[in-house]
Amino acid sequence: MPALATLKQRLHQRYWQLISVYLDKRQPASSKVKLVQRLIFILPTRYGWWFLLLIVLLYLLGTNYQNNLILLTCYLLLSVFLLCIVLCYQNLSGLTLHCPVAAEGFAGQPIYISIGLSSDNSSADAHVMLSLHFVGQAPQPPLATLCSTVNLAISNTQRGKYRLPRLKISSQYPFGLWRGWSYVALAQDYWLYPSPDGQVKRDLNASAGTKEQHAVQQHGDILAPYRHGDSVRHLIWKRLARDPANPVVREQLSAPEAEPSWVIIPPASGEALERALRQGCRQLLDLEQSGQQYGVKLPHLTIAQSSGPQQLQRCLQALALC
Amino acid sequence: MLKQKPLLMLWLAIQLSLLILLQQAFTSWISATFAALLLLRLLTTWRAKETLSLKWVNVLAAVLTLALLLNLKQAGVLHFMLQILLLAAILRLLALQQLYEARQLVWVHYFLLASCFILHQDMLLAAFIMLVLMGNLYSHFLLFSPAGIHLKWQRVSRAALIILPLWLAMFMLFPRLAPFWQIPTANVASTGLSDTLDPGSIEQLVQDNSLAFRVEFSADIPARSQWYWRARLYEDFDGRRWQVNPLRSRSGKDGSVTERSPGSATAQYRVIAEASQQRHLFALATPVSSSNNVAIAASGLVKAVKPVTQRTSYQISSVLQPVKQQSDEELTINLTLPEGNEQTRAFGRQLGQQFQQTSALVAAITAHFQQQPYFYSLTPPPLGANSVDQFLFNTRTGFCSHYASAAAVILRAAGVPARVVGGYQGGDWHQQQGYLAVRQREAHAWVEYLDNGKWQLFDPTAAVAPERILSSLDAVLSAEQRQLLNPGWRKFALLQTLSLQLMHLDYYWSVWVLGFDDNNQRQLWHQLKQQLTRYAYPLLAVISLLLCAAAWYLLRPGAVTAQPEASRLLQQALAGMVKQKPAQQSLSACLRHYASQHPTDRNWLQQLTDSYEQAVFNNDAAALRLLKQQLKRHRADLRRLQRRV
Repeated sequence: MPALATLKQRLHQRYWQLISVYLDKRQPASSKVKLVQRLIFILPTRYGWWFLLLIVLLYLLGTNYQNNLILLTCYLLLSVFLLCIVLCYQNLSGLTLHCPVAAEGFAGQPIYISIGLSSDNSSADAHVMLSLHFVGQAPQPPLATLCSTVNLAISNTQRGKYRLPRLKISSQYPFGLWRGWSYVALAQDYWLYPSPDGQVKRDLNASAGTKEQHAVQQHGDILAPYRHGDSVRHLIWKRLARDPANPVVREQLSAPEAEPSWVIIPPASGEALERALRQGCRQLLDLEQSGQQYGVKLPHLTIAQSSGPQQLQRCLQALALC
Repeated sequence: MLKQKPLLMLWLAIQLSLLILLQQAFTSWISATFAALLLLRLLTTWRAKETLSLKWVNVLAAVLTLALLLNLKQAGVLHFMLQILLLAAILRLLALQQLYEARQLVWVHYFLLASCFILHQDMLLAAFIMLVLMGNLYSHFLLFSPAGIHLKWQRVSRAALIILPLWLAMFMLFPRLAPFWQIPTANVASTGLSDTLDPGSIEQLVQDNSLAFRVEFSADIPARSQWYWRARLYEDFDGRRWQVNPLRSRSGKDGSVTERSPGSATAQYRVIAEASQQRHLFALATPVSSSNNVAIAASGLVKAVKPVTQRTSYQISSVLQPVKQQSDEELTINLTLPEGNEQTRAFGRQLGQQFQQTSALVAAITAHFQQQPYFYSLTPPPLGANSVDQFLFNTRTGFCSHYASAAAVILRAAGVPARVVGGYQGGDWHQQQGYLAVRQREAHAWVEYLDNGKWQLFDPTAAVAPERILSSLDAVLSAEQRQLLNPGWRKFALLQTLSLQLMHLDYYWSVWVLGFDDNNQRQLWHQLKQQLTRYAYPLLAVISLLLCAAAWYLLRPGAVTAQPEASRLLQQALAGMVKQKPAQQSLSACLRHYASQHPTDRNWLQQLTDSYEQAVFNNDAAALRLLKQQLKRHRADLRRLQRRV
């Protein structure tokens, strides 16, 4: 039932928007977050409600049989139930989360963000059975005991620079009756670079100036079906007249070869830009691997030639933001 | 987590205990089936093999449920519920795969363990059930914890410290309500006196050493000769057996108001009756008021509102005077004699003509029993058809029921309405604990005859064996017959004292735990309120005093001067910077660290450190002055530095 599903999703989205406004006021993003009372929420789990039903049933049973021992059992379970709120809170409070490094990765692939966990409490079982995941991502199995760093996956298909979404940290310890959780906003970004396009790889692997490269260059341009955003100047009008349904453009591969250690992104938009960026990304990776000096020329930005991991990162970030 | 062997073993142990504890609710074939299923699970767990597939478990569940349903009428609803729940738990354990299934299992275990208290309230068994409940709580904990976690005693005791007061406060203060609806009770054979009194029925009861009820008196304790606990009236006689008249089976509330004749004493007491599955309870003489879980029926009998399926306590107060006549119907019932026992009837008629006064007649019967060679025995010879004739004139050996039966027949034949009363006489008085323990062996039968509109008590046994009434049964019986009552282990003195101590403990258990009711609760609330108003002001004063003392202790100037003045000054000046320094780092090390990091400020920071060290470690007053000056001079620099770090 897709209609229902979408309704549910829409409702959830609306709910999350409302919650976000509240959370942003309550806990604005910061580089280091310590879980304190104002950040921890606690509510019964589904099993907790069942347990409460058990307590009510025992109260009825004890009252109807006028049996003090059943009532004693009922109150014992009730006190355990209430104590669990405190234990659940203690299990979360005092935990400090931070994310020291901005993670980077390629769009379309899951990237792993390393979250540092530390605690005031030095004992080994101070924080157990924590499950962490970013809001909107698939939940992960709980961590049995506290470890100093945990890698959490985020997958996103769009390149760019993103702010980390809120991190949901929750725990049902010790009896699974209450769920304590917190939505933590960490002031950190992550980078998604355009995913490197494998198709162009072979062309670029051949070093500049070889015969085949020349052949391609002389032969002219590769033809490709028109995609949204391609420049109208590259359209092959003759073919369009013959077959108006399938417009064809001339792919410009000549630009990179003109300046072999410059990655050039032509001014384009839409899918064409994306394609150029993917190819540019692949070029950058290959250039870095080959140890040459290289730079990036974007329509509005030029990064001077250099090499090394920092240069690569600078260039890739420029591509991601293009 | 689910496949952990210890966890499975724990659940198996819990289910085995449940099977044993709920034995009453199961017929033998059900117990055998359950035990076999548990054994299967045990074997598969032991060898770490796969158990039955889910399909087979489902088939098994369907078949067994059908069998239990067919058995429903015989078992009763309560037992059926217990059977189904335990079946579900056992089969669930047999095919346990998912976490949520384990959660359900733990849930059902909780419920079943609590249900065990319907059947068992004995202190030791209750302790055992609580232990198993703790086991289940532990398995619940394991289910939601990381593998290989160890419980720390420190944590457990801390949790217990929080839970205990909460638990007890809830138990004592949480409102108690009356039963919401009629509940199914178990089909269990009743114990104690029955609706018929055979010549031999009391002898059988006497061999039972189990507790019938306990009594605590709130004021004066009546004399031992007045400890006749009335339970039943036997008014129909068929020549051999006494029966309860149908009139008494109808539960009619006592309509008559008992006006207290001047000079008659009253007794106020609480009876804690053991489970007997009957409605008949016990009272002395004429009960006048009772707590509302029991009702005073006609003729001074006390009946429970519902059958006593568990230990019940009730408060009662009695006027120590004979029960009044209720109606003329009573008169005719208690004069009827069936055919047979001609000799006794003739004897009775003769006595009746001889003594016109009823009291004289009774005295004559007493004299007859005392003067003729009558014997009191636990093992009387068997009697034939005309049992009363045979006893009175041939065997002359009998137990209390024989004497009571014969006396009632003689009285009726003489024209005096008389009936046999069944109940208990005497008991063991425990001075230190302050209660009277009445056992089944104290079962007794005596006679009541109508005189001046009142049912006077007459105990013919007292004429034959006065020690039975004044001390105990053991005093009357020969060593040989005592042997009969004391089988096996009760001969060992140590075991006997141990069991006695246990009984005392059990008494406190029933008074404080089982017997705690809304009445006690109201009293507690009342007392709390009174105490609170009385102690509120002193308590408030003490608390505020303590708070003041704490405040003074924390804020007193001495607390600050514990460290040298130079350190204090420096810490004040460097407030923001010092906050970030690790605890083990000294102040001067911290300053040197800043000096190395901020080259522009290195010079004056170095000077500051030097004078600080001089002031603190050399107790140099001049250095301290210098430090003050430096701090003053570089106040702006310090502020700038603090902003930067």
